[in-house]
Formats: sequence, structure tokens, C-alpha cells
Amino acid sequence: QDTLTAVHAFPESLIYTQSFLEFVDKVNERGEGVIEINVRGGPEAIGMFQQPDAVRNGVVDMVYTPGSFYAGSLPEKDALVASNLTAIETRENGGIELIDQIHQEKMGVKYLGWFDSGVCYNLWTRNEPELDEGGNLDVSGLKLRGNAVYNAFFTEYLGAQVIDLPTTDVYSALERGVVDATGWTQIGLIDLKWNEFLNYRIEPCFFSTDLGVIVNLDTWEGLSEEAQTILQEVAIEHEQSSVEALRTKRDEDFAALEEQGMEVVTLEGEAAADYLAAAREKTWERMQGLMEEQPGGTENYDRLIELFYDPAADPQ
Amino acid sequence: MHTLRRAYDGFVTLMAIVAGAMLVWLMVSIVISVTMRNAGVQPWAWLFTSSEYALLYMTMLGAPWLVREKGHVHIELVTAALPPATQAVVSRAVAAACVLVSVILAWKGAELVATNIARSDYDVRAYFTPKWILTIAFPISFTLMAVEFARFVFGPELMHSGEAGLHE
Amino acid sequence: MMEWYGALGLLLGSIMVLMATGMPVALAFLAANILGAWVFMGGGAGLTQLLNNGFGALTSFALVPIPLFLLMGELFFFTGLGTRMFTAIDRLLGRVPGRLSYVTVIGGTGFSTLSGSSMGSTALLGSLMVPEMNARGYKKHMSIGPILGTGGLAIIIPPSALAVLLATLARIDVGALLIAGVVPGLILAGLYLLTIWVQVRIDPEAAPAYEVPAMSLGEKLGLVLRDVVPMLSIMVLTVAGMIGGIFTPSEAAAFGALGVLILAGIYGGISVESLRNSIVGALKVTLMAYLIVFGSATFSQLMAFSGASSGLVDWATGFALSPVTMLLVMFGVLLVLGMFMEQISIMLLTVPIFFPLATDLGFDPVWFGLVMLLALEISFTTPPFGLLLFVMKGVAPPDTTMRDIYTAAFPFIGCSLLLVVLLILVPELALWLPGR
Ligand code: NA
Ligand code: NA
Repeated sequence: QDTLTAVHAFPESLIYTQSFLEFVDKVNERGEGVIEINVRGGPEAIGMFQQPDAVRNGVVDMVYTPGSFYAGSLPEKDALVASNLTAIETRENGGIELIDQIHQEKMGVKYLGWFDSGVCYNLWTRNEPELDEGGNLDVSGLKLRGNAVYNAFFTEYLGAQVIDLPTTDVYSALERGVVDATGWTQIGLIDLKWNEFLNYRIEPCFFSTDLGVIVNLDTWEGLSEEAQTILQEVAIEHEQSSVEALRTKRDEDFAALEEQGMEVVTLEGEAAADYLAAAREKTWERMQGLMEEQPGGTENYDRLIELFYDPAADPQ
Repeated sequence: MHTLRRAYDGFVTLMAIVAGAMLVWLMVSIVISVTMRNAGVQPWAWLFTSSEYALLYMTMLGAPWLVREKGHVHIELVTAALPPATQAVVSRAVAAACVLVSVILAWKGAELVATNIARSDYDVRAYFTPKWILTIAFPISFTLMAVEFARFVFGPELMHSGEAGLHE
Repeated sequence: MMEWYGALGLLLGSIMVLMATGMPVALAFLAANILGAWVFMGGGAGLTQLLNNGFGALTSFALVPIPLFLLMGELFFFTGLGTRMFTAIDRLLGRVPGRLSYVTVIGGTGFSTLSGSSMGSTALLGSLMVPEMNARGYKKHMSIGPILGTGGLAIIIPPSALAVLLATLARIDVGALLIAGVVPGLILAGLYLLTIWVQVRIDPEAAPAYEVPAMSLGEKLGLVLRDVVPMLSIMVLTVAGMIGGIFTPSEAAAFGALGVLILAGIYGGISVESLRNSIVGALKVTLMAYLIVFGSATFSQLMAFSGASSGLVDWATGFALSPVTMLLVMFGVLLVLGMFMEQISIMLLTVPIFFPLATDLGFDPVWFGLVMLLALEISFTTPPFGLLLFVMKGVAPPDTTMRDIYTAAFPFIGCSLLLVVLLILVPELALWLPGR
């Protein structure tokens, strides 16, 4: 029997971690006697931002983390960030295979699966957001919390005054009024208790989560063929089932939030299209700029965009 | 030999002065960024990033000097009860163990820098900073710490005072 | 795979042994980490992980308040602002019996709010007040006791570098922990005053009264406005700024240091020497602490990754003791460790075990953090090896024995223990101000 050690980027209570642990259970059940995943913990076991290096170096065999936590090594993860598709379509069209290949070449890790996809990000604000005459979002009065993932969009397009904070500090920053707006995924606001301070959700949503399972390549290649097959099959199943599960969860969260008084402000027409285009294009720009500086260059750039972005899937 | 030692000592002191400047920079950068924010201007992101990096450089550049100043806190309890001659032996042995720890980390640090360059790793914050520019502080600092500890192994002075209690 | 107690024994054991041999604490942690990383994290790769962790721990903005609070305290000390405030309070109190003991507590509380470091304030108060009180015929315990007590207050009343470090290590809100210390700190200072009052009542000879020149009300008012209010207002403004959401803890620390600097400029206390001494003083303590922090990330991760912390927590909660009993056990462990170890190492050793346990027991982490700080404060002055006892020995007149110092410390340790009891009975004392 093969045994893999694993850690996850976020604390155990977060919905995304729960989803990963479900995957682990499925593998351990299906792989009994062949493959076992031994979860060692979350950020308390290996620091959030050190996990990608840890799996590369073989300290741990498997990590569940957003690609954004290793953006410095693999700027191509922005293809997932800017994607308007889910793991279901991109598994089908070969997108994930390409991402896997890039992971193997650039980081020496196997990209096993893109979980919890199909969840996008909203801007959430304390006060009613202001729109200009063109219906565009006016962020001039907002104290917007940012981080490395959002900022290309927030500062360059929206022109916002961004305050960089890690997730763990946002609650107290909202509480004290250090920030009064933040981006976050459609799900999870309630778990983080940020809904105590945030009253408006701005639609449309942008970006996509980029959570994936990566496995040390030497470890992967040392596994029995049977173990590899089970891992890959269960991962592909979980890619699909997690999309469904999280959509249900999103609808529940939205309903619960609306019941508590969360109001939805929707950008319309051209303003919405510009907003989405900017989120996407600023992210692609960043990806292209960083790819240029790395070995291999922008060779995969066009193909990545083609596979992870389908204009037909945008809200019309 | 004498000149070489003085140049070396001067270098360690210089690193400590830079570390002190970093400490002052922490205050200055925050004051500037808050002032900008309250004037309604977006503070330069590098103010924030530079203070985070300053913490790393400050610690690493100042650490060898602190060894020389015997500023790393230690506990003298068991050792204080020993007769002076044994005490001196133990003190030098402990210093030697510190040399070993420093050398291991200096060596792994050098490896890490090589890896960071080979993989062209970046530290991702407001900016993408080549990681080796930061991790290079490890091999330099731990090498100099090893030298400073080695002086307590072979030099005339001991690291321990022989008095029971906490020392810093 | 090693059992959890094997892992725990290896990690804690190697640190304890190395510290006992007199190895600098930071190096002892690094050595134990090297050993642990090698065993649990796959050999050489584990050592690289150690460096990467250190990198992550040191480039964290949450640590910024530590050097700045220290700088603030050192500036206060070296530019003479501290002495100025002290002299003023002394003159204001006039002919109260035991006056100098009260001055020590009131002035010391004011001073400890401004100084991030207990050692700094103990050293200042000890060298300033003990000789003066000796000359006035005060018995030793009336001078040394209050100084030891207020020295420890420095880590509870913000600004406090140690509170910032604890909050960072335990991943709790830095601002909340700092603010949580305000009310309990003031209560503790009040208990100290009460203790002195009782001591003077029992033995008036311990603090003989003597004539001091009388001051008019106008003079007193002028003194308050000139030498007390400006100094205290820096502290009040930084704390209020944190509570009101105007400042983050880092910003409060930066502006606090700037405030002291400006004030020192106004009062003419700035010189090249005072600035250099302040920076060197702050730098030394910061470097000492940060190098220990460098190893801390890996240490607590090794505890989690090897299964040692979860194993211990499961084992300890398996006895189904009441939360209060568990709290007392943890408190006792902290006091025992405090007898032979310094505060930062104790935090590093116990945070990875105690905080998961406290969460399991349903304690508010900020409240628990404050209780932990109190335990550390008490252990500062616990015989035989409490750090402040030695600092005091260093600055007190030569005929002072360790025994004098020990006996002086006891009533004030009692006050701190009483405060812990109050906090257990009424957690709101700590949690009301940070609004939790
Ligand atoms: Na304080
Ligand atoms: Na102690």
C-alpha cells in the first residue's frame, strides 16, 4: 500500500478544506489496501505560503492550495483566475491537462485536479456603492481591502485606494473601519463572519477560485499504477461533484445573507461588460508579463486563454 | 592579520548600523504611508513591502553583531554550579555547538539561494521580487554568526559569565 | 511514524537540554528545529523548509509594532522624559505616608504604559527610586516591591511588545489583545496601591513621613499640565486610536515613537547620544526576540506536523477535567517554566499546545492570551530565577540581598494572582473594551 502525506492551505473549518477532506475520504475508501492519504493538518502544520515549496521539495507529498499562493513560480495560474469556465469543461477540452503539463515542467509537481471551481468573486461593501452617470462603479470613497490576486484589477482598472491585508486580519479591519469593502468568493462570507459588517454585494461576479491539488512528481511517479489510476479517477469525479456541491452551497449562502438584509447592486449593460473585461484583461496582462520573464516565455499564452475563457459563456 | 580582523569587525558593526537604520525606516515608512492615506493619496505600495523586508534584513544583518555583544539571551543554571575549569570547557563546547548550527544553516541557506536563482522564484506581494535578493541574507548572516561564535570557542573570552540567572 | 509522545519528547526534550547547557535560546530552538525537521520533514528538504518558514515568519507585518514599541520606551528613558514625569508625580503627592511607594506605582504605571519593556522600567525605577527611598529611611520591601510589581505591568498595559508577539504567535488579533490589557492593568495598579496602603497601616515605620516643601494649587496644576499630561496623552492617543479604528497596532507604534520623539525635542532631551542609545537598546531586544521568532514558526509547525500537539491535546482533554481546572494546570505550567526560562521562550514552547487546548475548552483566545500574559508577568518576579529579580539586584544598592528582593516580591505576586481570579470570574474585565 502507498501512503501520501497531505496538508491544506486553509483552516479546517473553511468550506474549501471540507471539500478537500471529502476527496481524501473518497480516495481512502476506494483505495483501501492500495493508496492512503494521511492529512497532517492545515496552515498550522506548514505555513500557508510555504506549502507549495514544501510539496516541491518533498517535505509533504500532497498540498491543496490556491494556485495564487505560488504565482511567483507559475504565473499561468492566472488562466484559472480569469476563467469563466469550470473544471468540468476544462477537463474535457484539455485545459487541465495543459496546466498539469506546465506544473510538471515548471515546478516538478503533478496537478491532480482543479476542485471547487465555478465559484466566482464579488465585491462586498459596507455602504451602498455609488455608480457614476455611465452606471460604472465609483470606488473613490471606498477603503478597499486588496491582496496580490485582486490588485491588478482593483488598482489599475477601478483606481481604488487599496489596503493590503491577509484574510485573517480582515474581520478586525472591518470591525474598526480600517476597510469598508473587500472582494471575496461567493461562498464563505458567513464562515468568516464578515457579513456582520458588509451589507451590499456587487454583481456581476468576476474571477474564479483556483484551488487545486498538487502532488510531488517523484512521489507521483513512484506510486503503483493502480494507485495513480484511483487518485486520478477520484480527483476527476471530485472536480465535477464539487462544482455541483458548491453551487448548492452558494445558493444557500445567498439566501441566508439576503434574509439578513444583504442587498444586491447589479452593474448593467456596458458597465458590467467593461467591469468583467477589465478583471479578465488586467489579469491576463499580468500573466503575460510574468511569463515573458520565465524560461519557456509566452509560448502557451494564447492556448491557455483559448482553453480557459469562452466568450459565449459570459452573461449576455 | 590585525588589519584583517579590524576590517572584519568594522564590517560586522556596519551591518548592525544598517540594521539600526532599518529599524528607524520602519517608523518613517509607516508615518509616511498613514500621512499619505489621510491626505487622500494612495500610499506607495513599496512603503509597505519595504518595511516587511526591512524586518528580515534587520534581523539577519544585526544577528552576528548581537553574538559579539553577547546579546542573545541564555540561561546559566546548570553551568553556574560547575567548577570554573569545567565551566570553561562547557562554555566552549556550547559555543562550538552554536558554530555547528550556524554552519548548517549557512550551508542550507546557500543552497536555498542557488535554488531560488535556478527556479527564478519570486516573492509575491505588491511586487514580484526575485526571492534570492532576500534569501541571500541567510548564508551571509549565518556564516558571520558562525565566525562570531567560533571566537568564543577559540578566543580568550568566554560566552558565559559563570553567574546563575538569565543573561541578555 | 513516531507516536505523539515520542515526537513531543524529542522536540521539547532537546530544547530543554540545550537551554540548560546555557546555549543561547534562539540557537537552542534552531538546533531542536534542525533535528526535528530532519526527522519529521524528510531530511535535507526539512532544513530548507526551516529557512523558508523563518523567511515567512520574519517578513510578516504583524511583527512591526515590537521594535517600535521598544523604541518608544527607550526614547522615553534616554531622553529624560521618564524622569521628568516621575519627579512631577513625586512633588504632586506631597506629604502622604508611604508617598514614595505610591509614586513608584503611579509613576511606574505611567511609565510602563509608555515603555514596552518590563526590564527597562524596572532598571529605571530601581536605579532612580531605591537609593532615594533608602535615604529617606524606607524599609527595603517598600521600595523594591512596588518596583517589581509595576515593572511587570509593562507587559499588560499597552503598548506592550510581548503582547504583540503573543498575539502574532497565537494568530489572534493584535489590537484586541493590546486593548484587552487596559482595564485589568489599571485594576492591578489599583491593587498595588491598596497593598502599599495596608503595608503602611500595619507598619508605619516602614515608610517614615518627612517634610516636603508645600505647593500651591496653581503650581500643582502647572506641573500636571507640563510634566504629566503630555507624556500620558501619547499613550492615551495611541490606545484610543487603536480602539477607534484610526490606527492599526503597527501605526499606533510608529506614531507613538514619533510622538515621544517630538515631545523629547520640545523638552530638549534629544542628543546624538540619546538617539543612538535608544536605537541600540531597541535593536538589541528586537534582534534577540526576532531570531527566536525565526525558529518559532518551524517549532510550532513541527509540533503540529508530527502530531505532537494534537496528540497532547487529545490526551489532556481525555481526562475530562473542568475548563477551570485545565486553566489552572496551564497556568501552573507557565509559572513553573517562568522560574527558569525567559518569557519569549515560554510563549514559543506553550502557544502551539495551549491555544488549541484553550479553543477546545471554549475559552475566548483574547481572554486566554491575557491570562497567559499575566502568568508571564508573575513569572517575571517569581523566585528564584524571575528575570526582574536579577535586574533589580543589578541596580539596587549593594547591601540588598536576594532574600530582601524575594520577600518584597511576594505581596505583589499575590495581587496578580487575585487579578487572575477576577478575570476567571468576570471575563468581561478583559473583553469589554475590545468589544468581544
Ligand atoms: Na506597556
Ligand atoms: Na521568569
